[in-house]
Amino acid sequence: MGRIKAIIVKEFLHILRDPRSLTMVFITPLVMIFILGYSVSYDLDRVDAAVIDHSQGRLSRQLVQSIAANGVFVLHGRGASLPLDRAEEMLRAGALRAIVVIPPGFDRRLAAGAAAEVGLVIDGSDVNVANLVQQYSERILLEFNAGLTAARGATGLPLRLDTKMYFNPEARSQFFFIPGLIAVIMLMISALLTSLSISRERESGSLALLFISPLRSGEIIVGKTVPYIIVALLDGAVILLFARFWFGIPLRGSLLVLLAFALLYIVAGLSLGILISTAAPTQRTAMLAALLITMLPSFLLSGFIFPLDSLSPVLRAVSYAIPATYFLRIIRGVVLKGAALRHFWFEGAMLLVLCAGLLAAATRKFGRQRKAAQ
Amino acid sequence: MKLRYLVKKELIEVMRQKELLFLMFVSPVIQIVILGYVVSTDIRHVPVGLVNLSRNQVAERVSERVRRSPLFAVRFESRRSADYLDLLKQGRAKAIIVFRDPLDRKRSAATYPEVQVLMDGIDSNTAMVAAGYFNGIIKGYILDDLARRGRGLPVAGRPLFRFNPQLRSINYMGPGIVGFLLTIITMFLTSASLVREKEQQTMDTLLMSRLNSLEIYLGKALPAVLIGLIDMVIGLLVVILWFGIPFRGSLFFLFLASLVYLAAILSYALLISVLSATTQQSMFFAWFSLILFLLMSGFFTPVANIPQPLRLLADINPLRYLIQIIREIFLKGNGIAHFWKDLLALAGIAASLVSVSLLNFKRFISR
Amino acid sequence: MSRAAPAIAVRDLRKNFGGFQAVRGISFDVAPGEIVGFLGPNGAGKTTTIKMITGLLAITSGSVEVNGLDNRRELPRVKRMLGYMSQKFSLYPLLTALENIEFFGGISGLAPHDLKAAMARMQEAVPAPVLRQKIQDVPPGIRQKVALFVCLLPDPGIILLDEPTSGVDPEARRGFWNEIYGLKTRGKTLLVSTHNLDEAEYCDRILIIHNGEIVSAGAPDDLLRREGKASIEELFEDAIRSHGQN
Repeated sequence: MGRIKAIIVKEFLHILRDPRSLTMVFITPLVMIFILGYSVSYDLDRVDAAVIDHSQGRLSRQLVQSIAANGVFVLHGRGASLPLDRAEEMLRAGALRAIVVIPPGFDRRLAAGAAAEVGLVIDGSDVNVANLVQQYSERILLEFNAGLTAARGATGLPLRLDTKMYFNPEARSQFFFIPGLIAVIMLMISALLTSLSISRERESGSLALLFISPLRSGEIIVGKTVPYIIVALLDGAVILLFARFWFGIPLRGSLLVLLAFALLYIVAGLSLGILISTAAPTQRTAMLAALLITMLPSFLLSGFIFPLDSLSPVLRAVSYAIPATYFLRIIRGVVLKGAALRHFWFEGAMLLVLCAGLLAAATRKFGRQRKAAQ
Repeated sequence: MKLRYLVKKELIEVMRQKELLFLMFVSPVIQIVILGYVVSTDIRHVPVGLVNLSRNQVAERVSERVRRSPLFAVRFESRRSADYLDLLKQGRAKAIIVFRDPLDRKRSAATYPEVQVLMDGIDSNTAMVAAGYFNGIIKGYILDDLARRGRGLPVAGRPLFRFNPQLRSINYMGPGIVGFLLTIITMFLTSASLVREKEQQTMDTLLMSRLNSLEIYLGKALPAVLIGLIDMVIGLLVVILWFGIPFRGSLFFLFLASLVYLAAILSYALLISVLSATTQQSMFFAWFSLILFLLMSGFFTPVANIPQPLRLLADINPLRYLIQIIREIFLKGNGIAHFWKDLLALAGIAASLVSVSLLNFKRFISR
Repeated sequence: MSRAAPAIAVRDLRKNFGGFQAVRGISFDVAPGEIVGFLGPNGAGKTTTIKMITGLLAITSGSVEVNGLDNRRELPRVKRMLGYMSQKFSLYPLLTALENIEFFGGISGLAPHDLKAAMARMQEAVPAPVLRQKIQDVPPGIRQKVALFVCLLPDPGIILLDEPTSGVDPEARRGFWNEIYGLKTRGKTLLVSTHNLDEAEYCDRILIIHNGEIVSAGAPDDLLRREGKASIEELFEDAIRSHGQN
């Protein structure tokens, strides 16, 4: 016990005595969550658009009015003042996202009780934005239609649709990204720090000293990881508090449940770090490996940004092997939905399996390398 | 002329490290293919639950349309009321669609049921898109229904999508991936090569030689530019041939922009290596900046969504301009007349990064 | 003292790393054409001093003059007069011996035909197959030979060798010192650091450095006579003991 304690204390001193590594561990995650919490957002609250009204009647003006009143569309030209080719050019230059074209016979046809069409020219490059723009305009048209049919004496829309958003009534994408960022940062910190710490010892030769010491491999690993578990947990706690009080992300569930899963998750990350560093001869390759193994899949295949349900089956299978996949679901569930332990038996079990597997692999690899070194 | 020897040496070193060769020329292909699939997946198979409490035929017909749609994956169906909130907490479904008969019987003699969509709003983007899909299904049903009775909605919108008529995500995301990979590879290649010189103490010999700091600087930068451009070609080929993304613009300007970008990102990598005391630090900062560059580049989420004070940070992010230019060239076939401002901004950033890092490099050398 | 102006003149040179004083005010001269041995245990300050002479390490205080030129004000000119071989031989491990020679010759501005001649000279001294192996795979003795060869390519007048014989077998060490004598006869000035005391006998003069201070200096025989010691080892032990207290 005393021997393990000695390593833990040494490792802690390493972190605490070096102001730069302290900054790395505690300031960078906060800076990241601050900047990214604001910057990574899908919330589209402004669509630059132009309306070209060839009809210039009472109803067409009314339609233009309701587009302008919508709040999302910022109109850059009204009436027929803006020629279509000029508007198309603005679309190409990115100054406009959408052009609404009301054809000449619009008022006449409607007055005669016939159906009319409205043209929507939308910049389709960013598919996500294009979809949202189309939805916004559909909604405006739907309301306009409802007004028209009511005026004609018919009943309103025949079907009443009521949409309710739970857990995030204002549909802020921060609710989605910030807990996700916490999970990603915690994994990065834990995998990166251990792999660097071990490669540092290797390069300075002190790993050889540890190797020939009477310590068992398990003891060395415990001694090397416990300080980083504490550091990663502190990191997580600091970011969580920041998310709560700065961004107003609600904390609806039990922190104890979150802590239990966070421990598993961090140990998985640390084991990954040890695996990486036992494989790589220098810090440079260790870093590259840590980058490719933790950052890319945890960013892309864990559901951090892209919903897993839409992935192809092969990639979806890969996502099951990534610890972040499960922890993301857990942290979002606990923090935002107030979900309880019983909701996560599958995620918890998978996390446990992955964690145990990685830890066993890391200890074995480490032990084998130690034998080879002697 | 001395520069020739530096470049040659650097290239020999790269060619003799198998893991580096793999990293630079094979892994980009794999990564682009995988990334391409992940990043460009349109939202589909949204998991939903159907709860039908209505006796109305319409509910069943709409449900059938939901079942048949590839946009939704029906995870459970029920004819009884349940604890919807708990179902959402479990995460089995992202939305629960509930059909009910209206309470006020007067209302059009209950021709239509009431529909309630209860959504897990955490992934608000997916939720909004899914809501849009469902609206589309309902609207389609109503229009068909009205048409059967010889009626229609008075005003119909007819959408037309420019530049990407089929709304393929890959057309938008694919070219961006190339820029992203270019960044990772050159950044790590450069800092790794400087670190190696320090470890081998060959940096001392270089500094003692008759080379001046500009020559040493270029000796590091040129090979990386060369490798970056090769990767660019590989990336473009994969994106165009594998994913079939149409290329509409000028190759010349694409490479010009990439060249300017490479100058910027290389100088940044050199700056990090020169300023940090240990390998650990330089790698950490490289990593940290990589994440900021990437997430603030507009690659995933629009730059326009970044709030004002932080937008300044995005405005000095070189990757942002590269991705903007690549996309304009690829999707819109735009010429220099459209993106000269972006190119100019990129050139400005590159020029300042080059001069700052060159100055620091000089200091590092004469230390 | 009617000796010629010194090739290297070090005056009250100091180096602090944070609170640690690595070099504490040392002064010495190296005369042209002389072999000076820089003796001391690991961590005594040998490498730090040599690096300050080359300009690779900033000087905390004091001065270094090379052929009368201050190495801070005239660094580019000073660099051209110096040849430097660092502890780890500082060759590119992934390049072959010949590629290393081509590279270092190339960046020293050797004309192509001179470069070719140099490579031919190396091939006479060492069997060709070895020269075509990556430097990381050849024995340390050859590596040392190549490193010295590379260091001499720009034909510097003053040569600084930092621990050139560490990790090399005795056979190769003797051969190495023979080469150093050859250089002396060609009029070169040499400052050679080592922690192998038996190499002191090869030097015209030795400087014993300990804890960043010079504790003894002079021609090996003079020193032994003056201090009444039978061997360099004894002299060294004694010098270190009497200065070790501070």
